[in-house]
Amino acid sequence: MTILNITYNGLSADYPIELDSHLNDIDLRRIAVEVVRSGGVPGLQIANLRDDAFANYVVDRFNERIYLRPKVPFGS
Amino acid sequence: MRILFCGVGALGSTAALFCRNLDAELTFIDFDRVESKNLLAQAYVKQSLGKNKAEALKLQLSNFYGKKSDAFGVKLTAENIDALCGGADLLVDCFDNLKSRTLLSEFARKTNKALVHAAISGDGTFGLVRWDERFKPDAEDTEGQATCEGGEHLPVIGALGSALAGIIRDFVKNAVKRDVMVTLAAVTPT
Repeated sequence: MTILNITYNGLSADYPIELDSHLNDIDLRRIAVEVVRSGGVPGLQIANLRDDAFANYVVDRFNERIYLRPKVPFGS
Repeated sequence: MRILFCGVGALGSTAALFCRNLDAELTFIDFDRVESKNLLAQAYVKQSLGKNKAEALKLQLSNFYGKKSDAFGVKLTAENIDALCGGADLLVDCFDNLKSRTLLSEFARKTNKALVHAAISGDGTFGLVRWDERFKPDAEDTEGQATCEGGEHLPVIGALGSALAGIIRDFVKNAVKRDVMVTLAAVTPT
């Protein structure tokens, strides 16, 4: 079991997911859109979430956790 | 221990204030100057307007808290990085661009120096503190992209700067390297 952590609009939540080891970042973003729309991620239900909501997001993979997050280019 | 803050805008200046009680030498690098818009999201006061940020922070720490520090009001480049960063025990990356973050990261890896990064999203609602071992710098979505305009999410900047200071403290005192992420609602270990 892998934990997918999704951050959107300044809120963040975990979603446990069984992942195919070959799942690429594009598939992961598509899955994230679906689970957020469906209400599968506690505290992050957005029924009308855009298809490209996570298009510019970064995917960080650390052991059993995956973070789908906005880019963080700034320090100021 | 000598701690070098690379970039003292919103995150760097805020974290530096919370590091003032550490038993460490603080040094700041920033070529930029304090503008009136910076007062909305950075740790500068009105009296620092027009001053170089590194020099202004040094002056504020001395005047308000009696904490001595050093300042370099220059841009970090491949030519001066050895001279500026070579003596540091801990590098703290609070830069606001991919090029400078990458330069610092490459230097830290080459010299085996400890480097912690702090970074915030353009809309100011999300940020990270991560050690270099687990950090890859992000590029801006567009060149010159606005960031944290108007100090709308100042509490997130405060939480992120404070978390960074706590992580620096844990490294200085216990050689522990923690990562966190900060959202509008929470500071979460990662």
